[in-house]
Parts: sequence; structure tokens; C-alpha cells
Amino acid sequence: MTTKVSGLDFSKLTLLDALDLAVLIEEEAMDRYRELAEQLEVHNTHAAAKFFRFMERNEAKHREALLTQRTARFADAPRHVRREMIFDIEAPEYDEARTFMSLRAALEVSMRSETKAREFFESALAQISDSEVRTLFAELRDEEIEHQGLVQKELDKVGSGAPGDPEDYADEPVSH
Amino acid sequence: MTTVQLTSKDFKSNLKPIWCPGCGDFGVVQGIYRALASIGRPPHEIAFVSGIGCSSRIPGYTTAYGFNTVHGRALPIAQGIKLANPELLVLVAGGDGDGFSIGGGHVPHAIRRNPDLTYLVMDNQIYGLTKGQLSPTSACGLKTVTSPHGAIEHPVNPLLYVLSYGAGFVAQATPADMAGMTAIIEEAIRYPGFSFVNVQSPCVTYGEDHQQVKAHRTAMKTLASMGHDPSDRMRAFELASHYGEQLYTGVFYRNPNPPPTYGALVKERQAALAGGLPRERILESFIQR
Ligand SMILES: Cc1ncc(C[n+]2csc(CCOP(=O)(O)OP(=O)(O)O)c2C)c(N)n1
Ligand code: SF4
Repeated sequence: MTTKVSGLDFSKLTLLDALDLAVLIEEEAMDRYRELAEQLEVHNTHAAAKFFRFMERNEAKHREALLTQRTARFADAPRHVRREMIFDIEAPEYDEARTFMSLRAALEVSMRSETKAREFFESALAQISDSEVRTLFAELRDEEIEHQGLVQKELDKVGSGAPGDPEDYADEPVSH
Repeated sequence: MTTVQLTSKDFKSNLKPIWCPGCGDFGVVQGIYRALASIGRPPHEIAFVSGIGCSSRIPGYTTAYGFNTVHGRALPIAQGIKLANPELLVLVAGGDGDGFSIGGGHVPHAIRRNPDLTYLVMDNQIYGLTKGQLSPTSACGLKTVTSPHGAIEHPVNPLLYVLSYGAGFVAQATPADMAGMTAIIEEAIRYPGFSFVNVQSPCVTYGEDHQQVKAHRTAMKTLASMGHDPSDRMRAFELASHYGEQLYTGVFYRNPNPPPTYGALVKERQAALAGGLPRERILESFIQR
């Protein structure tokens, strides 16, 4: 976890900072899904791109809800947490995307991202003492568990032998 | 020179990258945005020069002044820019082919002049843009379109190459460790003189499995965790000699007493000449000798 957030001491995290961090985590994920969707659209990988667009909208909704909570409680109090302090907490890593990746592969990317977000909140909870921050992070962790369940349902619908495995199309060196 | 509070978004251009999805360069450019935000120089005070290749597209994805030059010629052009406008923060980007094949001859000369610029090489051990040919850093035995029976040459070691010519700052990074890579790029930019970062930026399309980000996550070892002292140049040589076998990340060498930069020496010489002669007669001083 330490490598994902810099400059924050979780044992002293205030509710204001925790809410701002949560907003930024959703914002980072929203931006990343948009970027991955754009990359795949350029490379005609439409089913996966469409799913990433759907995820972008989802993350935008979560961000909005957290922002509303933050404003209701703290109005426009100055923000101490900056986007530059976090790295890929819920956002899928860039190396997860592939040209011609299947819808199933895209769902798996999302599952890994929800899992790492859950793990992040779990490990943060171990360090947090403020009761309000604990409640917030526990809720956020539970939401990630819920999202994992939703993605799993979609994976079950898609089944295992989905067409469009990138390996079927990958450019191989001539000698291989 | 201005320093202001900037964010990564201030450095992201509107141009959409056309790299293959999953390319290591996506992570690298994010690291560059963040490092530049920490440095705090506004985009109009930065010149970003590159050669030709997939990785040479990086400047176009930033809001800094960009010059996507000629294959292998980024360093001479960057040095010219820095001399003409010393106030600019000058960054150079390119691939291993651009820097150590066609452009390899420019590297020693840039280093011995010691201009204050940062050279980022996206080392994917392959020619990406031209579709997977052997590069100077490809491993011996690698099968590619230009080496169907396996390469018989040994690779160039970029770290030893620049260390040997006297670079004052030599580091290696991977987008598998975004925080580490960003910190290294920032430190390289802050070094007053020629700084070099070999970024192991995987090519997902033509690279090998063991060269990918996922493999880096398990293979990498930070020099800091090994207790390496970056002022120890001899130890840096020893560690750098493991290039290709062991993925060390961090700063191999940072000169604790950085020598004057080329820009500073030029300025000094100009002041000495101009001190004794009116500006319009400086040229004559060269003709007479
Ligand atoms: C003078 C010249 N010779 C050859 C080329 C063809 N060419 C373009 S990019 C490139 C190599 C690309 O590899 P690298 O520099 O490692 O960058 P990457 O694409 O892997 O990022 C070559 C040979 C060229 N553009 N100009
Ligand atoms: S060919 Fe390789 S280096 Fe070039 S964009 Fe694709 S993955 Fe990146």
C-alpha cells in the first residue's frame, strides 16, 4: 500500500482527507477506464472498449456521490490530498489492455482492479484509528466486494470460451 | 524561471496516444507528467526533444514544446536548444534503437560536454515502430524478423555505456513501479548536468514475456533496498554490468560533486571574451588566432 500512496500517514488520516482521497481514487479509476476505452476504440476492440466506457460511467457516479458527501460535510474546505499522491489504487494498470482483447478479458481486468481496491481499503483499515474514517473505509471496502460480485455475474454470463483471444491475432516474429 | 503549483493534467496534451494498448510507454508518460508537476516549471519553459520510434512520440503527448526530430539525432538538437536558450528545461526521449544504434555516436559527445539535460531511453530491446527488428539491446539468441535464427551479437549495455563516458547521473526504472520510476525521473531532471535514465518500457507487441511489466514486478530489485551508495562509481559499474540478467532499479551513480555544465563553461568563456572586447569584435578574436 505504501507504494500506492505517498505523503499520507494513515494513522492520522482525518475524515476530510479520507473523503478527498476516496474521491481521487474514483477519479483516477474513471480517467483510466476512459483512456483504456479510447485506446481500444482506436484499435477496433469494441466489446472491451464498450465495457470500459461502462466502467468509466460507474466510477464517475461513485466519484460524484463521494464528492457530494464531502461537500455536505466540509463545504469548500481546502484539499490537502492531491492526485499526484496516488498510484493505480482502483485504476487498472496500463499494461492490462491489449489490442483485440475479449469482453471476458476486459471483465477480468475490472475484477483485478476491484480486488486490489478492496485489498487497499483492507490494509488501510489496519492502520486507521479515527472511528469516522474507519466507517467510511469499511463502507468503501464493502462496495468493492459488491462490485466484485457484479463483475463475477457478468463473467458467468460471458462464459469461458469467449472469442477474440488476443493471442489469435497477435503479431508474431516470423521465426516463431 | 518560474516555479508554480502544477498538476499532472497540466502536462497532458490533447493528442491521443496511438501506441498499442498495454505498451509500457503509457506508464512512462504518466510518470513524466507527475515528475514535471513536482518540478513545477510550466510547460512553456520546457523543451522536449525526441528521435524517431514509438517512444519518440512521448513529447507529443505532453504540453511542453516538442520536437520529434530525426532518427538518432535527438541529442545534438537538444544540445543546440539548450545552448541557444539556457533557461529552458530540456528533456530528451527515444528508444534503444534511436539512442544506441543509429544515435549511439552522439551519446559520448553529449556526455563529455555535460549539458544540463535529461535523456530518457525507453529500452524495450526491440525496434517497435518498424515492427520488431533486432535492436542494439536485444539479447543474444533473440529471434526476430531480422534474426530468424537468433541474434549472434551480444547486446550493448546502456548503463555501462553512459557510465564509462562519465555521465554524472545514471539510473534505471520500470513502469512496473510507477512511484519509483516517477521519483527517479524527477531526480534525474533535478541533477545539474547530463542525466540518463534507462527506462525498461516493455513492448507488448514484439517483446518477450519475461520483458513485460508483470514480469518486471517480480524480477525488479531496487538498488536502495540493497544499500547501494550512488556516489560509489566503481560499485555502480559492477551493478550495471548485470544489465540483461538482473533488473536493478534506482540510481546507479550520482556524482556528488557535479562538474560545471557546458552551458556554464560557454557563458564563462563568452564573459571572458566580451570582458576584453566589444561584443561585435568577439568573432575577430577567433580569426586572429
Ligand atoms: C535514418 C532513418 N533510418 C531508419 C529509420 C526507420 N526507423 C524508424 S524508428 C526505427 C527504430 C525504432 O526503434 P527504437 O528506436 O528502439 O524505438 P521504439 O519504436 O522501440 O520505441 C527505425 C529503424 C528512420 N526513420 N530513419
Ligand atoms: S510496437 Fe511495441 S513499442 Fe511500439 S507502441 Fe506497440 S507495444 Fe509500444
